[in-house]
Amino acid sequence: MSDRVKTTKIPIVERVLEANDQLAETVRADLEGRGIFAVDIIGAPGSGKTALLEATLRALKGRRHPAVLVGDLATRRDADRLAHWCDQVVQISTGQGCHLEAGQVRDALKEIDLSEVDLLFIENVGNLICPVGFDLGQAAKVGVFAVTDGDDKAAKHPYLVQAADVLLLNKIDLLPYVPFDRSIFEADVRLLNATVPILDVSSTTGAGLDAWLDWLDRSPADKGASNPSA
Amino acid sequence: MHEFSIADALAAQILRRAPAGRRVREVEIRVGALRGLEPEAMKMCWDAVTHDTALAGSVLVMDMRPWSLACPACGRVWESPVPFAECSCGEASPRPTAGDELDLVSMTVDEDDDTVGAEAGAEAEAR
Repeated sequence: MSDRVKTTKIPIVERVLEANDQLAETVRADLEGRGIFAVDIIGAPGSGKTALLEATLRALKGRRHPAVLVGDLATRRDADRLAHWCDQVVQISTGQGCHLEAGQVRDALKEIDLSEVDLLFIENVGNLICPVGFDLGQAAKVGVFAVTDGDDKAAKHPYLVQAADVLLLNKIDLLPYVPFDRSIFEADVRLLNATVPILDVSSTTGAGLDAWLDWLDRSPADKGASNPSA
Repeated sequence: MHEFSIADALAAQILRRAPAGRRVREVEIRVGALRGLEPEAMKMCWDAVTHDTALAGSVLVMDMRPWSLACPACGRVWESPVPFAECSCGEASPRPTAGDELDLVSMTVDEDDDTVGAEAGAEAEAR
C-alpha cells in the first residue's frame, strides 16, 4: 500500500457466499413448501454415488416419487444410467466447476415436474472438498465414502464429516479384500462428529440398503435418531 | 478448486460494495479451519479473478482461524493448524473442533480528496 495515499478501512459483516446462500434459501423454501425432501450426495469420484443411486431408485420404484439432479464436469453418462430407473433426471454440466451451486440447482429444477415428486436426489460433482461449502437448498447432506478409498478419508475431509447428516460407507462387500480398518474410520468420524449415523452399504449386493432406505423414509426431524453406531 | 469460486464470489461482492470511484487496496476475510481453504491458492485465485478489473492489484488478507483441540485426558485446550494431533500428555485423540465461517471482514479503500474520515465512517456504519 502506498504511503502517500490516504486510505480508510471499512468494516463489513457479510458472508462471502451470501449470494449463493440466499439462492439456496429460496430453493429450500420452495422444496419444503412442496413437501420434497432433498438430499445433497457428496463423495469422491469412484466412491459409487451413481451406482448407489441406481440401486436406491430401483428399490424405491413404486414406493416413492423421486427426481434426480446429477452434476458432472462433462458428459451425461450418469443421467443416462439413472434415467433407466427414474423418469425425472436432469444432468447439470458444470464445465470447469468442481461443485454444484444453488443457482444451477434452481435452474435445473425448472426442467422437472415437481408436482409429483416427494424426494430429490442431488448427486454432486465427485469431490470430497469443494461441494461441502456450497449450500444448495438441500434438507440433508449425505457423505459417501468407499472402503476402497482407504480408512483415512474421513480424517482428511473433516468438513464433510462434520457437515453430513448421514455417512454411507459404500462397497462394504469388498471389506475382506482391501486394507480398510473400519474401527479407524469410525474413530476418526466420531472425533469430528459424535452423532452422525454411519450406514454400511453395498450397491452391488444390496447389503445395508434397507437401513439407508429407512433413513430416507423417516421424517426429517427423526433422521439422526436411530444411529446404529452411536 | 473451490478457492476459485470463492475468490470469484468475493470479487463480485467487493465490486458491489466498494464506494464508487475509490480504489480498493485491501480486502480482509476470516476463514474457519473447516473450510479447508489454502491461503496461497486463494491469493493466486484472487489475483486471477481481479486481474483486468477495478480490483487489480488489491491485496487479499486472510485471517485463518485454527482448529481447537481439547484433550479428553488432561483437559488441555489449544489451537492447532491441523485437526489431528497428539496432546503433550501423550493422549492420542484430542477432540478437534473448528468453525466454517467464511466472512468478509473489511475493505480498505483510498480516501478521495473530498472524502473525510467522518464520511467514510458514516458510510461504513450505514452498511
